[in-house]
Amino acid sequence: MQETHLAIASIPIQQWGALYDEKEALCTGTIFQELNKPFFAAEIEKKSLNKAKPKSEEQRKREEMLSKIMEVSFVLDDLTLYLDTHCQDSQAMDLYQKKSQERKDLKQQFAAAFYPLTRDCIMDCKKDKAFCWQEGPMPWEGACV
Amino acid sequence: MWTYEKRLQFPVKITKTCPKTAQMIISQYGGPDGELSASMRYLSQRYTMPVKQVGGLLTDIGTEELAHMEIICAMVYQLTKHLTIEEAKEAGFDAYYVDHTTALWPQAASALPFTSIEFQSKGDAITDLTEDLAAEQKARTVYDNLLRMIPDAEVREPLKFLRAREIVHFQRFGEALEKTKEKLDSKNFYYFNPEFDKGMMKTEL
Repeated sequence: MQETHLAIASIPIQQWGALYDEKEALCTGTIFQELNKPFFAAEIEKKSLNKAKPKSEEQRKREEMLSKIMEVSFVLDDLTLYLDTHCQDSQAMDLYQKKSQERKDLKQQFAAAFYPLTRDCIMDCKKDKAFCWQEGPMPWEGACV
Repeated sequence: MWTYEKRLQFPVKITKTCPKTAQMIISQYGGPDGELSASMRYLSQRYTMPVKQVGGLLTDIGTEELAHMEIICAMVYQLTKHLTIEEAKEAGFDAYYVDHTTALWPQAASALPFTSIEFQSKGDAITDLTEDLAAEQKARTVYDNLLRMIPDAEVREPLKFLRAREIVHFQRFGEALEKTKEKLDSKNFYYFNPEFDKGMMKTEL
């Protein structure tokens, strides 16, 4: 049991608990339901992020796959910080292992079909022999997802 | 060493030009409680952290803050990408335009340039982690303030995401402080400086 003391800050250690599914976790900003503490003035609307604009089949496929990568990667981002302070948590570790494999496979598939997201996926690019690291839109252009 | 991943942590797709909003949001790029400041704070503090996992946490959060900086920059960029001179003048974006055109430059909403004077790396684990807890709260307040002022859903979604991350980081820094306290004397946490007087810390429990 955690003790509290005078003259120093105390924060209770989080216990493993209910998680959001991947899509909701990314929208919310955490995978942990207990850590979702919204601001009242931010609760007006709940809109879908993607505006319905006509898209090519290739763009639709690319966005779908990249969305999946973003969701899986975010689970890993949040889990990493949790594991940094809970290195013995086997449930978190099991999920980490599962999602890591998923992310690795997705990144490879994405590089093979579109462009590499990281340098270690450059060789998974199968389009042609040219160096493909500069392919694909820059992330800040808003064209990826 | 760092590796770049060619995607944002959270998607940004803003279709409406709004220099006024850009001018407010840029504070989270180069302002006192911005993401650049947060990243540099944690990545500076980590070297001398006496508890190894805390140094690791600072590395991971400091890295995530760089991804947040990229989200903020993408927002400012998209809000001003198609800017006209008339819009710049009308929104009071003209002074920024003169200095930087529509390029990204780290400054606060008040036009104060980015500076390391706004954060500390004090060399005392209790002091630094307490600063980090406060830093996350200060950034959360900025996001609260932005959310009150900005009605556009395309801008609000990433802001809400970033605000939620501040709360998660606060929790983690709190846990990091607890880990550090475990290695100290609970009768007097301030008897020595755990980062300087390392030999006085409790060894592995």
